[in-house]
Amino acid sequence: MAGNRGRMGAAGRRFIADYGMIFVLLLLCVYYSVATLNVQYPTGSEAARQVVAECRERLPSGDAALIVAHHGQDASDFAREAEAGLKAAGVEVAGVVLGDPSALRLELERLGAAGRAPKAILATREAAEWRLIRNIGEILPASSGVSVFCPESHRWPDFLKRNNLLAVADRIVVIAIVAIGMTMVIITAGIDLSVGSLIAFSAVMATRLIRDAAGAANASAAGMVLCCLAAIVACGIVGVFSGLMVTLFSVPPFIATLAMMLVASGTAYTLAAGQSIYEVPASIDRLGRGTSLFGLPNTLILMAVLYVVAHVMMSRTALGRYVYATGGNREAARLSGVPVRRVILFVYAVCGALAGLGGVVQTSQLQSGAPTYGLMYELYVIAAVVVGGTSLSGGQGKILGTLIGAFIIAVIQNGMNLTGVESYTQNIILGLVILAAVLLDKLKQRGWRLRGGESG
Amino acid sequence: MKKASAVLLVLVLTVSALTGCKKRETQPAPSAGPAAAKAPTGKVEGKIGISVLTLTNPFFIDIVKAVEDEAKKNGFEAIVTSSEFDPAKQRDQVKDFIVKKVNAIILTPADSKAVGTAIKEANEAGIPVFTADIASLAEDAKVVSHIATDNYAGGRQAAKAMMEALGNKGKVAVLDFPVVESVILRTRGFEDELKESKSPIVIVGKWNGKGVKDEGFKVAQDILTAHKELDGIFAINDPSALGAYAALEKAGRAGKVVLIGFDGQLEGKKAILEGKIYADPIQFPDLIGRTTVQTIMKYLDGAKVEPQILIPPSLYHKADAEKDPALSAK
Repeated sequence: MAGNRGRMGAAGRRFIADYGMIFVLLLLCVYYSVATLNVQYPTGSEAARQVVAECRERLPSGDAALIVAHHGQDASDFAREAEAGLKAAGVEVAGVVLGDPSALRLELERLGAAGRAPKAILATREAAEWRLIRNIGEILPASSGVSVFCPESHRWPDFLKRNNLLAVADRIVVIAIVAIGMTMVIITAGIDLSVGSLIAFSAVMATRLIRDAAGAANASAAGMVLCCLAAIVACGIVGVFSGLMVTLFSVPPFIATLAMMLVASGTAYTLAAGQSIYEVPASIDRLGRGTSLFGLPNTLILMAVLYVVAHVMMSRTALGRYVYATGGNREAARLSGVPVRRVILFVYAVCGALAGLGGVVQTSQLQSGAPTYGLMYELYVIAAVVVGGTSLSGGQGKILGTLIGAFIIAVIQNGMNLTGVESYTQNIILGLVILAAVLLDKLKQRGWRLRGGESG
Repeated sequence: MKKASAVLLVLVLTVSALTGCKKRETQPAPSAGPAAAKAPTGKVEGKIGISVLTLTNPFFIDIVKAVEDEAKKNGFEAIVTSSEFDPAKQRDQVKDFIVKKVNAIILTPADSKAVGTAIKEANEAGIPVFTADIASLAEDAKVVSHIATDNYAGGRQAAKAMMEALGNKGKVAVLDFPVVESVILRTRGFEDELKESKSPIVIVGKWNGKGVKDEGFKVAQDILTAHKELDGIFAINDPSALGAYAALEKAGRAGKVVLIGFDGQLEGKKAILEGKIYADPIQFPDLIGRTTVQTIMKYLDGAKVEPQILIPPSLYHKADAEKDPALSAK
């Protein structure tokens, strides 16, 4: 038993050493959950049942009620359910307004003129927030006596709402995907500055191909997939080119990829003639905005699959060990038979192709491709990798650490928007967080001593 | 490990202190009952989310200030964000507005087409979207109303100023930026006015100054080299006009070539005061901001609103600059 516990303790310590940043992520989540505690209310049919029950209790029998809902799917569900509920309860439904405040105003004036002014309004919470309903006595004095029923509220953090958690994942998906390739490049002690431009290049190339070769807005699904694959392959080739510069000519990775960054960005602007390309089928958003399994967004599933594959590759295969060996000590790796050059070519190709995939995802999310995409993304990607604990000097790092790093950045950005921090201040905070993460990493390497010390 | 946890804690506390410094929202919680009377001042009636193109341009800062001010007057709180030219970032900001359940969203799109998916998501969540200054060109994305400067009328005013300054004769060049819809309208207004008033002024050509100072400077130098007889330049905004002025100075032709700008930013107004620019059709960003919020209020009250509201610019000469309190302050 004791031995078992000791092993578990060692595994726990290793986990903390590898993925210590997960506590930062959890603490950030807890913090933003508290900071965004807010009034919430049910929507859709649940809201309708609650409001109908309330109405049955408090509305004198014989009075007519008007159902009001804003635009959107939840709102239509509410209206349908409320109408059915009222009819079942024997309350007269004066009408159903689906739409905007002016539609309600017209309906109220029409009902008023016909002498059938409703005694109650059953509204979705969104509609109840319209000034027309909140100040109904002032705006339409004829309707001043009307009772308004809307869903009851409860308190719950904005941050922890399902659609916000999905939004957090959605905002980071492009950066997280590209960061997989960047982690591998950085583990070989390299860097790839061209990924941001490659996102733009891939987006422009994919949309341009769809527009010019696959039939523009009438392109078939297969055509779109082919065009997107072509864009991804092209980005992979750019990656191979950077890799060749690094291996064959010993150009420092920083310089080689800086050059490719300019080339890719310039090509993207040229291909797109500086404009965004939008002549693509609307169904191109299947990947970026669609959902599949359990209503999870496709982008999230794609990201999860890529991370699992990359994690297994880096931790369980010879190729993964070669990548670490190349970054740890290139000469030693070469002498012990690691095909160093091919490993480096491979990581730059993967990084380029994943940047291409990132561009395709972005295209799909925005239903268009423009050369302005991916601006500064290389820096966010590198930040995610470094915050995730990968050392810029090579040889060390974990793929899943990068995922945590990406989520830390996404949570901070989302949380700052939810708590209303100005956009200038946001950059300052993000910069400080990245610095703090790297400092933490350095301290960890030194065994938590502020000065010197080689032993860890 | 104790030290490790201590460092982590310090890090997180620092982050929390920095990020948590902003106000907590005061959410009104109207009870389910008869609608309450108009909220007393100081109580937040609702929220408006705004995402602008950039906050590095004073034009958008003026719009944002006016929106904040006008929203406050109506008891609303404005949540200000900036896309800084990144359409993906703008979409994230709109998603955050949806989570916060704002009552309305104002956008100046970072990309007139790519903004479509963000607007559609707001549409699905039942939040009305308004655009200010830059329109959305995305299909089936519903925008309640677009509020902007009447750029076409402004272009016509610029042509009138040019005719007046040159005594209705001579050769002019246009420093263009033909990828932006509003600029295309300015140039078209300028050309149409000259054509319709049968002016003998000849447009020798249009060059792309990209709407920025350095590019305007480079292009204007080439124009001046190519056209020794040039009498006037119409630049589609103040930065490119000021770039052109630097080129005129360098060529020793300042004062001999009439310069007309557009916008009426502070820097441009100063140049008009100093006689560097002859006149500007000036825009009213504060009016755009105010009108947008007023339109939102009208919409929330249930009144009909126009799908497009154009704010006419007005010509601003040296005489106006001499009386302008914004310039005499210093």
